[in-house]
Amino acid sequence: MADLLSVENLSAGYGRAVVLFDVAFRLGEGEALAVLGRNGVGKTTLLDTLVGVTRRFTGSIALAGREVGTLAPEMRAVLGVGWVPQERNIFRSLSVEENLTAVARPGPWTIERVFGLFPRLKERAQQSGGSLSGGEQQMLAIGRALATNPRLLLLDEPTEGLAPIIVQELLGALTRLLREEKLAAIIVEQHAQKILPITQRALILERGRIVHQSDSAALLADPAPLERFLGVTGR
Amino acid sequence: MPSATLLGQALISGVLAGGMYGLLALGLSLSWGLLRLVNLSHFALAFLAAYLTYELGTTYHVAPWWAAAMIVPVMFLIGLAQHWLFDRFKVNELASLLITFSFAVILEVAIQLYWTADYRRFETHYSTMSIKVGGFYIPVLELVLCMVAGLLAWGTWLWLRKTYVGKALRAAAEDADIAAAYGVDHKKLAYLLSGMGAAYAAIAGTFIALIATLAPTQIWAWLGVVFAVVIIGRLGNPLGALLAGMLIGASESIAMAVFEPAWAPVVSFSVLIAILLWDPEWL
Repeated sequence: MADLLSVENLSAGYGRAVVLFDVAFRLGEGEALAVLGRNGVGKTTLLDTLVGVTRRFTGSIALAGREVGTLAPEMRAVLGVGWVPQERNIFRSLSVEENLTAVARPGPWTIERVFGLFPRLKERAQQSGGSLSGGEQQMLAIGRALATNPRLLLLDEPTEGLAPIIVQELLGALTRLLREEKLAAIIVEQHAQKILPITQRALILERGRIVHQSDSAALLADPAPLERFLGVTGR
Repeated sequence: MPSATLLGQALISGVLAGGMYGLLALGLSLSWGLLRLVNLSHFALAFLAAYLTYELGTTYHVAPWWAAAMIVPVMFLIGLAQHWLFDRFKVNELASLLITFSFAVILEVAIQLYWTADYRRFETHYSTMSIKVGGFYIPVLELVLCMVAGLLAWGTWLWLRKTYVGKALRAAAEDADIAAAYGVDHKKLAYLLSGMGAAYAAIAGTFIALIATLAPTQIWAWLGVVFAVVIIGRLGNPLGALLAGMLIGASESIAMAVFEPAWAPVVSFSVLIAILLWDPEWL
């Protein structure tokens, strides 16, 4: 059976600058992948390249056996790439509900189910996106990606800069998405200990190259690569 | 101080005349607010439609509503063609001002070549009709104009609020790249909106033919006022454009009644500046 995502020989960046070098990895249906690494090693560039908003120099990106590396972002979105950008980038002038319905596509993730996952959003359904707190904006950004009914969810530092109690709530929702809904996902995160327990696979980036790939459980059991490349103990 | 009857009549006339400002502002507000293109040729397209209505009416005796039924679809296509150019040459907000200004000048010259610089008047038996309600005269044609403008503004507002396409357009207007990454095909939507803007210009043009005296230079007559209306009404808000048009129309008319007619042109920008200084939350 074909993988959900297969990335080969991928080099990408912005303008003339190459940020990612020869990246290759695979992701099966229902699998979640943690992308770890220090600041500025190319984690966000990797996600942005999968979305299609960077410049791709070489390599291929196959989603469910179909090459998408040459497609425009809107086509990739239609084919199932759901994106939660680092800056969240919710539509501030649209209401919470409109943020979801403006991009919704048919599938199991209805607006009601998004509200079920994030009840705070339902309470704020008629408020403008710009009036939400940071944590609520992050929930909306995730909800908006879900409303497009993606086959693959890309999350860029979903807990960054949020209060610990909100982080708990978000991690709870993510756990539900990955474990119970079996949604395939790639999560970029600086804090390995937050997401290794909820992902199956992990890779570590260092200066634009993959320097380690393994099962998340293996990385939790033997955190030597984390210490080496991230300078943390993983606890 | 003028009498209450005069002020009341001035208010009614002003609001009705403001319907024309609102109708002209509608298409401009949509393209400026949602496409970030300031379309000065909007006024020239409206006048082209007005001259066509005049020509069809006087030479071929086509009723204005049938003329509109023919001109509006053609204008929609012209709107699409215009957007193709914007898209092809990646025109931004500032460049659009310059390019559409030159479009308007070219259209002005073309109109002058065909219809000459003479003043033209499309006389109809209903152009001076009015109904009397409680001591005030209400011109029928301008009442119809306001109803048409009201229906268009309200329909467009609902369309932007309630439909998928409308919400996607507003999302793309705020952040086109992010909207695209969520599967919103904003290029197609932009064509649709551009066609609609030109079609609205055509509808305004039909009424201009019936209400105003036509001359090529008149293309620029409404420019300042309608710009003020678009900004007061909030960019991209069709109901706001209509209400702002009526507000400016009423202010002008009352200023004319209380002071003297020469004051009217000062009013629109005074109101604009006052509102910008006040900086209310809805702006």
